[in-house]
Amino acid sequence: MSKLMEWVDARLPISDMIKSQATEYPTPKNLNYWWNFGSLALFMLIVMIATGLFLAMHYKPDAQQAFDIVEHIMRDVNYGWLLRYLHANGATFFFIIIYVHILRGMYYGSYRAPREILWWIGVIIFFLMMGTGFLGYVLPWGQMSYWGAAVITNLITAVPVVGEDLVVWVWGGFSVGDATLNRFYVLHFLLPLVIFAFVIVHMWALHAVHSNNPDGIDIVDEEKDTLPFHPYFTVKDLYGVGVLLIIYCWFVFFAPNAFLEPDNYIPANPMQTPAHIVPEWYFLPFYAILRSIDFLGSFSKLAGVIAMVGAICILFVLPFLDRSPVRSFRYRPLSRSLFWIFVANAIMLGWIGYNPSDATAFDGALPLIILGRTGTAVYFGYFVMLFIVTAFKIEKPLPLPKSL
Amino acid sequence: MVIEAEENRRDFLILATGAVGVAGTAAAAWPFIRSWSPTADVLAQATTEADLSALAEGQMITIPWQGKPIFIVHRSAEQIAQAKEADSGSLPDPALDKDRVQKEQYLVLLALCTHLGCVPQPIGTGDFGGFLCPCHGSHYDTSGRIRKGPAPKNLPVPYYAFKDDHTVVIGKPV
Amino acid sequence: MKILKFVQVAILAAAFIPQITLASSGAVHPPAQEWGFKGAFGKFDNAAVKRGAQIAVEVCMGCHSFKYIKFESLKQFGYTEAQIVAMAEGQGRTKKDKMLSAMDAISAKESFGIIPPDLSLMTKARKGYENYVYGILTGYLNEGEAELVAKVMEDETVSKSEALELAPVLHVDATHPEHVKHTLERIGNGDNFNKYFPGQFFAMPSPLSDGAVEYADGTESSLKQMSHDVTTFMAWTAEPTMVERKTLGFKVLIYLVFFTIMLYAVKRRIWAKAH
Repeated sequence: MSKLMEWVDARLPISDMIKSQATEYPTPKNLNYWWNFGSLALFMLIVMIATGLFLAMHYKPDAQQAFDIVEHIMRDVNYGWLLRYLHANGATFFFIIIYVHILRGMYYGSYRAPREILWWIGVIIFFLMMGTGFLGYVLPWGQMSYWGAAVITNLITAVPVVGEDLVVWVWGGFSVGDATLNRFYVLHFLLPLVIFAFVIVHMWALHAVHSNNPDGIDIVDEEKDTLPFHPYFTVKDLYGVGVLLIIYCWFVFFAPNAFLEPDNYIPANPMQTPAHIVPEWYFLPFYAILRSIDFLGSFSKLAGVIAMVGAICILFVLPFLDRSPVRSFRYRPLSRSLFWIFVANAIMLGWIGYNPSDATAFDGALPLIILGRTGTAVYFGYFVMLFIVTAFKIEKPLPLPKSL
Repeated sequence: MVIEAEENRRDFLILATGAVGVAGTAAAAWPFIRSWSPTADVLAQATTEADLSALAEGQMITIPWQGKPIFIVHRSAEQIAQAKEADSGSLPDPALDKDRVQKEQYLVLLALCTHLGCVPQPIGTGDFGGFLCPCHGSHYDTSGRIRKGPAPKNLPVPYYAFKDDHTVVIGKPV
Repeated sequence: MKILKFVQVAILAAAFIPQITLASSGAVHPPAQEWGFKGAFGKFDNAAVKRGAQIAVEVCMGCHSFKYIKFESLKQFGYTEAQIVAMAEGQGRTKKDKMLSAMDAISAKESFGIIPPDLSLMTKARKGYENYVYGILTGYLNEGEAELVAKVMEDETVSKSEALELAPVLHVDATHPEHVKHTLERIGNGDNFNKYFPGQFFAMPSPLSDGAVEYADGTESSLKQMSHDVTTFMAWTAEPTMVERKTLGFKVLIYLVFFTIMLYAVKRRIWAKAH
């Protein structure tokens, strides 16, 4: 056995690679449980690709058949219901995990030098995930699938001059239809593999600069400050996967439709829009931002789209907006307050996105659209304020520990 | 000693957890593997029912069963006699006519030539009053036995059962 | 401790989430019913599904289909082969066929203006789920209410006291007699009032009334009983794999909890060695 490994290692140094990048990879010893969400995200990606592959062996991207095929999977295919519910709820849990993962990075300053590229690749993965999630939601070809696809693709018409032609090109027809479903299916199959490739680059970048940690300080003494990844973090990550699986499987087996809209059990009908259409929950904050820009007349549509895309793109410049000498918000009281306002505001935006645009709160006293505009301002305000309190040294960081 | 015992227990716990984990992962693979098995709507086609009340003597019908053609022949007295006569002769794949039918007048065959899987032509087209496979010229008699040509075996008789006098159910329910 | 504090804050914040008023409201929220198949331990009551199938075949399938269900599969609820063959023949089909109504879509559209929707997935396809379906079936004017409406309509005017009397029946604002009158006029025109339908006027006339079918098992066929039974049947048609799902779910969760506890113990032991 060892002879064989020697032979292989002389040609491809697998043993060295496993040793340096996995088993003995030095990992900060003070990582808390929020650092589990990276491995959880990888686990969910694998679950999604595995269940997706097996679903693809039964699905047909045909506007006449797709809805019935999903029911065929639910009823006739052995364990088809399990594969589909794992996949549908898997998307939800993947996004929950990725949101926690992103917020953890924001709280502990993981986007700061020298981890900017690591952070950017993460934002690209997030973008790709949103695209994949949207495309996948179209495939069951229910009412929400169809009208979600119609509304989101119609955003393309906001592009000046060529928008109208562009959307026809995307649809492959005069409306969302068979051609659209077919290409969305192919892209939904392709994008996860692209995500997988970016995840590898993400981990490459991570291993080049190593993990950040809750104190946000650099490793001074590798011997004292770090632990080998195996067995310490393999077992910690596995324990995290166990906890995730308990919650995830509880939904899959006992409340599989909790995150699904009833309207998507009605076959797509291009002649009738559901009374109240909502995107998947993980788009809701961005959907609220899109709808909140309604005061610019004919420019509103384009501005809404720009605001929505900008809400994610602004994450790209976050490493340059944060000018504090300290990474972790543990030692940055002002930034910490801003962060929690940001989180609460994002949840509020999600709740606004869920409700109809003409809804009101407090017995009609407060139209939600006002709240939505405020929320949008607060969302972008976070980034502005973070820049102001750090660039102008308004925030006085607390003293940092000398070592982990 | 104390340290050693502690060490052993630790090893046991880790081993046991590893075993439980491997067992769980293996079990998790099962739904994926099972999803390739025939689906319920395919299994529902495991049996085919045929009503023979309208099938007159000398006529035959072809019905699909599990995606394959089945010949059901309502044999005439002459055709039955022909088949029985050949029982005593030398046959390439010896079988008695009475073992190949449940009711003398009804011959039920899986109509795929045992040579290379073509569908033989109806009864009366072959040299022995039976079926001729047009692809490579195999001749089957009025009992569906191979008599001449390249095919090695008799046309198989599928599993079937008479539900009543005129209704035959082909195939075993799954 | 920090997490606890966070949870505390979150709960406090949730308490302040204001009640939402929708610009377009109308229907009454259908009240929740008792469903034996709900919850982690819920299973279908086979006798109820069997009775519900009888209503589905004798009443619903006059216009509606259950296209994801085959007649044959009703066997598991205790129907005999002969009964199933008879049910299928009633729709001009065989036992191996899907439960499709004998009425074709074109003639249905001619008679009703819309194609009656397939019912296989109905309990999953509406907000309120089973409670909504039950609500629709029981939400038409009952005899007493219909009489009251007819009495008020006699003189074609609606007095203040009449409006007050009718408001809780029709679920309209009593302070606007013109609303009451408008609703009454539509009822007079033969439109189907249903208090649980958003918009209150429903394309389908009341399909069930006391004694509409004669149950084979002797159960009294009251409107409520029938509505409950047929809704239970529809819950089964919407997800025949539900019991299989929950049964497997228990095994999976017991395993996962056990395994996760083991992993936690291993994690504790290994980390005890950390410097």
